[in-house]
Amino acid sequence: MKLAVNILAVCLSAGFMASVALASSVNGDPNRGGELAARVCSPCHGMDGNSPVEEFPKLAGIDAYYLLKQLKDFKKKQRESPIMEPFAAALSDKEMADVAVYFGEQKPAPGVVADASLLEAGKLIWQEGNSRSGVPACSGCHGENGEGDEYFPRLAGQHSKYVIAQLTQYREGRRTNDKNRMQAVARRMTQAEIEAATQYIASLQ
Amino acid sequence: MKHHISRILPALIALLLTLPSHAALALTHQPHAPGIESKDYVWNKPDKEMEKALGHKGDPVKGKALYKGCTGCHKADASGRDDGSYPQLAGQHVTVLVKQLIDVRTGRRDNDKMHPFAAEEVLTTEDVADIAAYLNKLPTPATNSRGEGKRLEKGKALYVKDCAICHGDNGEGNDKEFYPMVAAQHYPYLLREARIIRDGVRRNANMKMVKAIGQYSEEDLEAVGDYMSRLLPPAK
Repeated sequence: MKLAVNILAVCLSAGFMASVALASSVNGDPNRGGELAARVCSPCHGMDGNSPVEEFPKLAGIDAYYLLKQLKDFKKKQRESPIMEPFAAALSDKEMADVAVYFGEQKPAPGVVADASLLEAGKLIWQEGNSRSGVPACSGCHGENGEGDEYFPRLAGQHSKYVIAQLTQYREGRRTNDKNRMQAVARRMTQAEIEAATQYIASLQ
Repeated sequence: MKHHISRILPALIALLLTLPSHAALALTHQPHAPGIESKDYVWNKPDKEMEKALGHKGDPVKGKALYKGCTGCHKADASGRDDGSYPQLAGQHVTVLVKQLIDVRTGRRDNDKMHPFAAEEVLTTEDVADIAAYLNKLPTPATNSRGEGKRLEKGKALYVKDCAICHGDNGEGNDKEFYPMVAAQHYPYLLREARIIRDGVRRNANMKMVKAIGQYSEEDLEAVGDYMSRLLPPAK
């Protein structure tokens, strides 16, 4: 009996560690998500989540948990976007989970670097931040190669224009759905640092 | 007059109702709690949140996941930065990590750089204990930055005379007493903190330390800081 309990305890703790180590899974149906994406999301975000328009974010490969939270936040008006609010409001929780899982499974396409002369400065911000002004290294939360996780979005290859727009929203206090950490970061970044970091982000794969 | 108030009351209530939602949107600034400048200051006075955090059995597995949000500054191995902008945290005592984190949250230790990442909306009290448990278990890399090594004998003499009684012969600190390990800490960080403690600017400082180094010259601080930065951390 004691052995059985011990084995159970080991299994449970191993299971718990796995759940911490792996991206938390969202229970959604990618096939139904794909159908919804084709009808609702693809005109802006692309059928495979690699949006062709710089103003709209690429969703491919972003963790489903993160995508689901954003959809819920749009619906609850906790993330401001006059474009996304009505679309999110029309989706049920189940539909949101389906599209989140679908886009999370898509293969991200490489980004476009508009100004390669900024990559070196961008890499410095990405890897080291700016300790004088208190800008943390982006890689700390978003991952060495911008791969992201369930709480911090994948940024690798993301459109620079979109990332700049988000950083601007954070800086101006219009985006607040991340417990305000990015507000603090964006306020400490200079415009030059933002331009450079977003070019480097576009270069990551 | 009464009549007027009753007429504008609904509008007033409506206005008040809108306030919290706007307030919630704003970046919270670090609060300010009384510290060394207040007459009745007692170092490490029992605090409800601290007791709760220290009473919680820290979970290093959860702590590791939470610590990710700190790595952008303190680095993945918690070794901090050579320029002393961010201290080495790896292997630090649990009580020290908990106290300093909570002092930043409550505004007893001024640090508006760190506050947004340690605020109550970001970390629960239990999270603080989990992060401390994780950091405490990490090996302390002795790759920290050091001083110029010019006055190490003087530094040693000062350390033995004034510092070792609390921070230990080898800079190992004291978990039970909330005294930090200073061994293998970055020299510029040690120098900066010692300076603001001497000058009464670090508001959560221990008065014993303010008195102990109150008469130190800049040269004394450099000598003792350099010596401390070269002390080796206890093996894990």
